[in-house]
Amino acid sequence: MTGMEEYHNSSEGSFSSEEADVIVKECVDNVVGGEDYSQSQVNKWTSSIVERCLTQLVKHWKQNKYIVTCAVMQKTGGGLHTANSCYWDTTMDGSCTVRWENRTMYCVVSVFAVAVA
Amino acid sequence: MDEYQTEEETAFIVEDVSKVIKESVEVAIGGSTYQHSRVNQWSTSVVEQCLSQLSKMGKPFKYIVTCIIMQKNGAGLQTASACFWDNSTDGSCAVRWENKSMYCIVSVFGLAI
Repeated sequence: MTGMEEYHNSSEGSFSSEEADVIVKECVDNVVGGEDYSQSQVNKWTSSIVERCLTQLVKHWKQNKYIVTCAVMQKTGGGLHTANSCYWDTTMDGSCTVRWENRTMYCVVSVFAVAVA
Repeated sequence: MDEYQTEEETAFIVEDVSKVIKESVEVAIGGSTYQHSRVNQWSTSVVEQCLSQLSKMGKPFKYIVTCIIMQKNGAGLQTASACFWDNSTDGSCAVRWENKSMYCIVSVFGLAI
């Protein structure tokens, strides 16, 4: 029984939403932490964020297929709403969504991990 | 001939998925004006409608549908996605829709089982 617990706690086991949350927050901080919204840079930022997240996720859990999406919105008082729905195997697949903000922008990153048979 | 038909039935066809998305968005929010109190219900409607139409197609795929609804307020919005999958069997499709008061961006990702 102790052996099994150790296996589940290892990051080489299955996808963990909590760990993915930490990974994503780090990636976002590294790319846009301290920056102000800039139309000329935002394209580069969103690409950077999704690529970094993907690289880190694959490093941690190689056995899954991944989809990472990122939306960056300027803070001007307008409303933004996002929704996701998944048709998959609820026992093996998982997701994680991180909402990040600073003074001038919002950033919403979603990670979907799909197990491969 | 049978093998060819099987390939058609198991491929991710962007055009078909795009049609499903456009119809789902029209049904859920076509003609509506952005309303903070209703947008939660709308985005849920859009993704659920898409998902139900996609699963009715009966293809051997897992699906992920995402929907973003943004009020037209002059703010800038940029979205990106990256995928780690099997290029030969998996696919995605994104549709950008708008009316006078809001933008709606829907993405569908299909992963072959």
